[in-house]
Amino acid sequence: MARQTASIQKAEASIYSYWFLVPAFFIFVIFFVIPTAISLYFSMTVWSFDSSTFCGFDNYKMFFSEYALTIGIKNTFIYAFLTSGSKVVLAFLIAVFLTGKIRTRNVLRSIVFFPNLVSTVAVGIAFKAILHPTKGYINQFINLFGLSSVDWLGNRSLALFSVAAVDIWKGLSIATVIYVAGIASIDHSYYEASSIDGASRWQTLRYVTIPLTAASRNTVIILSLIGGLRSFELIWTMTAGGPGFASDVMPSIIYKQYTQGFFGLSTAGNVILLVMISIVIFPLQKLLSKSEEAMR
Amino acid sequence: MKKLVALLLTLLLVPVMIPAMAEGPTLRIAVDTNASADGLRAVIEKAREDIGVNVEVEIRPGGDEGDNLVKAWIAAGEVPDLLYYNSGSKLLEMDPANNFVDLTAYPHIVDRLADSFKGAVTVGDAVYGVPLTSSQAGAILYNKVIYEELGLEVPANWQEFLDNCKACADAGYYGLIGTFGTSWSSQVLFLGDYYNVVTGYPTFAADFEAGTAKYAITPSAVRSFEKYTEVIPYYNPDYVVATYEDGVEYLAEAKGAHWIILTQALQNIDSLYGRETVDEIGVFCVPADDGNNGLTVWVANGIYVNKNGAHVDEAIKFIEYYISDAALDVYANTLLANGPFCIKGYQMGDNAYAAVAKDMQAYFDAGTTYVAQEFECAIKGANCESICIEVGTGAISAEEAAAIYDDDCYKMAVQLGFNWD
Amino acid sequence: MKMKKRNPGSLAAEIIGWIVAVSLFVLPFLFVAFNSLKDRRGANKLNFTPPDVFHWENYVEVIRNNRYQILTAFKNSAEITFFSLIVLVGCSAMAGYIIQRRRTRVTAAANKLLLVGLMVPVSILPTIWLLRSLNIYKTLFSMVMIESALNLPFTIMLYRGFMDTIPTELEEAAWIDGCNKWAVFSRIIFPLLKPVTSTVIILNAVTIFNDFTNPLYFYPSNANVTVQLTIYNYISQFQSSYNLLFADVILITLPMLLLFIIFNKRIISGMVSGAVKG
Repeated sequence: MARQTASIQKAEASIYSYWFLVPAFFIFVIFFVIPTAISLYFSMTVWSFDSSTFCGFDNYKMFFSEYALTIGIKNTFIYAFLTSGSKVVLAFLIAVFLTGKIRTRNVLRSIVFFPNLVSTVAVGIAFKAILHPTKGYINQFINLFGLSSVDWLGNRSLALFSVAAVDIWKGLSIATVIYVAGIASIDHSYYEASSIDGASRWQTLRYVTIPLTAASRNTVIILSLIGGLRSFELIWTMTAGGPGFASDVMPSIIYKQYTQGFFGLSTAGNVILLVMISIVIFPLQKLLSKSEEAMR
Repeated sequence: MKKLVALLLTLLLVPVMIPAMAEGPTLRIAVDTNASADGLRAVIEKAREDIGVNVEVEIRPGGDEGDNLVKAWIAAGEVPDLLYYNSGSKLLEMDPANNFVDLTAYPHIVDRLADSFKGAVTVGDAVYGVPLTSSQAGAILYNKVIYEELGLEVPANWQEFLDNCKACADAGYYGLIGTFGTSWSSQVLFLGDYYNVVTGYPTFAADFEAGTAKYAITPSAVRSFEKYTEVIPYYNPDYVVATYEDGVEYLAEAKGAHWIILTQALQNIDSLYGRETVDEIGVFCVPADDGNNGLTVWVANGIYVNKNGAHVDEAIKFIEYYISDAALDVYANTLLANGPFCIKGYQMGDNAYAAVAKDMQAYFDAGTTYVAQEFECAIKGANCESICIEVGTGAISAEEAAAIYDDDCYKMAVQLGFNWD
Repeated sequence: MKMKKRNPGSLAAEIIGWIVAVSLFVLPFLFVAFNSLKDRRGANKLNFTPPDVFHWENYVEVIRNNRYQILTAFKNSAEITFFSLIVLVGCSAMAGYIIQRRRTRVTAAANKLLLVGLMVPVSILPTIWLLRSLNIYKTLFSMVMIESALNLPFTIMLYRGFMDTIPTELEEAAWIDGCNKWAVFSRIIFPLLKPVTSTVIILNAVTIFNDFTNPLYFYPSNANVTVQLTIYNYISQFQSSYNLLFADVILITLPMLLLFIIFNKRIISGMVSGAVKG
């Protein structure tokens, strides 16, 4: 028995050779890991072009004294979980719909994918106008029903959610495409079996599609959550973290510091953000891969 | 060795390039999208004829992204031959001594520069740039048609300004146009009030850099933030999200009476609505409480010569030409000025905007102008815009805003090596 | 797809799908399209109204602007995208395959490193220094390498996820038949990854083609301009031209839309006989 395991492992080692990993990791380490490691040193310096002064953990201390930090951290989590959760659920429904018996699904898929193609800057400009309290067509539509206008981006407690909605609108398609590919790769014998068993459409979804798309769902969860925790571009173009600091998130605070030339401080901020993301993602990843194994 | 290879490569390339431009090298000038490049392009055309120097314009993004980009160029040693960049505090961040040519070796250039501009491009004893554009002001643009209709006068002090806003609001106009949706515009009231800060505390900038003066404990500085809270009732209802483009529309189409903005907006109104409309717009300064009024001026941003570039001599030749009367005439005919040029002895043509030629010039003639803070003080808070919006939407008080702004400036002081502890 | 009897339920679903798609996705597009056809003054008001006069010349102007800069930009962006995709697909498919098939300490560590890669932003200045010391700054090669490095974690993750659906029996059989490890991968596994490869191509092509910041920093100069940078000709603190901006946005979106339509079919071709039966 022991010998057999050893020989299987040997066979495994020769089919699945680590050499397959080498090209990817060579590129990744040289062009990403090394520069990132160098930048860690920055986080402990006050850096400008001709000089860098070592300052220990002063940058970290200064980062924690940032005025908008509390609201920024809170917003980061709200934004990330809201956008990620919505994408995970909505994109799955759309993907099921778009892989179903729909005559025009190719056109519909292209339509759904379109927002992803448009640059964030342009999306920001367009939606600032669309969400404008008086000129925007959303409020004009609402007014038709006799409801009063909503200040989507000017209202402090609403601004973050409005941007999150646009983020979902724009990012939904990536998740949808991943799901579509996941559903596409389900072996059709499962569907045949469930149809022979007389399963209803709901039962097929519940017992075939959902469990067998676990891998793509986990990919979507991890990607969209990390993306949400790091995201600031859309916030930046739509509200610049405002009104005031009302929709600031950690990455937008860091970006503001970076644009002012505080390289050391902003790198320290990035390290803190990395720790924050890790605390969420690593346990989640473990949990997800366990449940994935269990479903198989 | 590397240099040798580079030299060889250059030598190899030179014959290839010669047939394309027989008159010599083509200089690169990088300009951000915020500076209207039309005037520059017109001068470049003329320079090709007059002095035989070829210059190619390279457009780069402006704003924060643009600042980052220029810093990356400097860090990478990739600065173009000629660089357009801010004068004043932001120039300091660029490590000018190692990157730009000190123009004091060229007295015929330096002597042409107006003192206000020279101050903004002087670091230590060195002078680094020539002005790309005309100067401008951070001031209050107002619609003269509305003023005439309501029989209003240019306010003599801050209280009268508030009264005017109220009168316009009562008549159904937006008393004051706010465009916080374009966040930089939110700070113009704060920055444009600097003349009044200095009237109340003449050595404020120096003391602030030294760490002895603070906004929160300087009454004339806190007053700038208080003004935000006092104008809140007169804003357009969408002022938190309205953009700069909305502001242009509201003012030019006489929907709103006042707009606190940089006078560069005049050019924009001109290009969208035409000369007739822009001459219906007037300018006055952010008024003082005691009527001791003066205009806060933004001197022009500079063109700097890359010290380490391959074509320093041609570049110097070009900027020397750029500030000659002939070139300025070409510039001013292409792009009407937003304020006086920063060149000694150069008079604007007769075709200047009414707001510039009459209203702004009056302040210069009376000697009641002062440069904006960023041109005499190195330290500006990173969150200035957000803090102005907070106080301008009533989320925090003026005193809180001043205190937060002081804290915000601390980061810049540390970055620039000022000892505030 | 064979025509089948359609029940009224699925037709209703289709109609609802269209209503949702139109209101959520087509209206914003119309907003952009309308404003791209107005004059500057009209477009800068950003109203949702059709243009009074259709200014098609906006598109001509965008194409001709800065000596046909947009065409140079198309060429540059396409080059970067094409070569990066080759690197990405090749490297990531292999890496994803091993990471999913072999559960060892090495692959677990590789996995963690990739996750961290997703979490950390690019360090711009250190990267520039690195490229300069390798003497490859401002080269197409370095740009391709950077785009590849940045998108590897995401791409490997996708491949790894979809390896799950491929049963190991196939490669074991091929192995026993005497295929070597490279043949097992290239002849058996890689063809089976077609749907996910199409997905990878679509998603990465869009990201890389539309990347703005990385080319801006690592591949500067007028000759190397990329498509997103052309947008900045029309945005300014003072003189924005939203009509030209939107015309530009629509023009630079078209190539990727075309690519999507092509590869979208490929994703489905992997499922022709499968899921659609329902």
